[in-house]
Amino acid sequence: MTAQAEIRDRRWPWYVAVVAVAVALSLSMISPPDAVQGDLIRIMYIHVPAAWLAYLAFTVTLVGSIGYLATKRMVFDRLAASSAEVGVYFTGLAILLGMIWGKPTWGVWWTWDARLTLTAIMLFVYLGYLALRRATPDPDARAKRSAILGVLAIVQIPIVHFSVVWWRTLHQPPSIIRPDGPAIQDPLMVIALIAGVVAFTVVYVALVAKRMELARIEDAIVAREATFERPVAGEAVVAPDLSPEPGGAR
Amino acid sequence: MSGIRRQALAVARRDLARERRRGEVLWVTVPFGIIALLLVPLAIGTDQATLHRVGPGLYWVVVLLFGVLVGVRGAADETGPQRDAAALLGLDPVAVFAGRALATSSLLVVFELVVGVAAIALYDIDLIGVGWLALVVLLVAIGLGTLATIASSIVASGAGTAALVPLLVAPLAIPLLLGATQSLDGLRQGTSILSWILLMIVVVLVLGIVGVVSSGPLQESR
Repeated sequence: MTAQAEIRDRRWPWYVAVVAVAVALSLSMISPPDAVQGDLIRIMYIHVPAAWLAYLAFTVTLVGSIGYLATKRMVFDRLAASSAEVGVYFTGLAILLGMIWGKPTWGVWWTWDARLTLTAIMLFVYLGYLALRRATPDPDARAKRSAILGVLAIVQIPIVHFSVVWWRTLHQPPSIIRPDGPAIQDPLMVIALIAGVVAFTVVYVALVAKRMELARIEDAIVAREATFERPVAGEAVVAPDLSPEPGGAR
Repeated sequence: MSGIRRQALAVARRDLARERRRGEVLWVTVPFGIIALLLVPLAIGTDQATLHRVGPGLYWVVVLLFGVLVGVRGAADETGPQRDAAALLGLDPVAVFAGRALATSSLLVVFELVVGVAAIALYDIDLIGVGWLALVVLLVAIGLGTLATIASSIVASGAGTAALVPLLVAPLAIPLLLGATQSLDGLRQGTSILSWILLMIVVVLVLGIVGVVSSGPLQESR
């Protein structure tokens, strides 16, 4: 392993993440139950941050994609790809938590709600992004093509977020980011929700940093293998000595 | 500019001539789409009233899913020596993109019309607002054709990657599907469909801009 490919093991983001998650979970437990939904509302403190991270992660993928297209620096490609991977995880988590929340609230695991359906579609867009990266072996071609897709795919985020406003379906409208101010009135609930968002964001940063480090090592290994001197085919075969032996017959 | 237009038309003519020789869209994709329209009633029931109600939506889903195959056809060709020949001839990447998008969109119009006739016959769909319908068909064809061309250029890196095109195109084509289905719904109910037409125009424009801007970098990365 070359010096360039050494693992930089930073642990402090994980310590911060553990503390932030512990605080957020504690606040979500001590916050008051909802007047209508009761304790079910506590799923919101994980569901909303997971959904927020999906937006954040795919926006960072956009930033990384634009950064790569503008500078051709691989660090931006790693940022975009790592963020997309983590974003896919959190999008899946948001959908799963939404389904768990939906069963007692709406009576079904899945309903053809605009936001639910569009979020599932957004998940598949970014699964396609990751599939494209896996299918393109050349690092430069992979970075360029996935960067273009990363820019094109961002159109999903505003559609998903405002779908509950444009199509009045089952899903509740935005709780915090809405034109007429936050819908949640209880300050402790707002604090618990914000703490959840902050904690999940810290976890996201730690995960992306780790994934970028892994990607850097993967790239270093690929580059090393590309320049590694392998034995040439047929190297073991020695050309016969055809020179006349001294004193021998010709 | 006229040079790019001439090149784009030449590329489109080449693609259409290839389709005329092979007949992939007309003799494979179109029958495949009609088979899908025939299979659906076998799965959901043959009640004529239900089929009459869901027919337009099913038609657009078939157009979206099977129309992607027209784009996959382009991705398969991209791996061939034609790509190198185009680069050696000094063709402008924008012209190549525009020509391929034009050819794919033209083929999609044919696909939509033939499958549309089959859907009208099978599901007894009412033809209301023919002028608006023609515009919707055209916008879906241009949007889907442009999107499929961009996707096939993105994945064109080797054998087997053409299978990625449907995965990339289908989710991103949702605004087109929404615009088309809601327009038909609006025409049936007699409400204004201008906002949906506008949505599709915006999508087509955005896709066109993305296609033009990305054509250069995508050609460089091959």
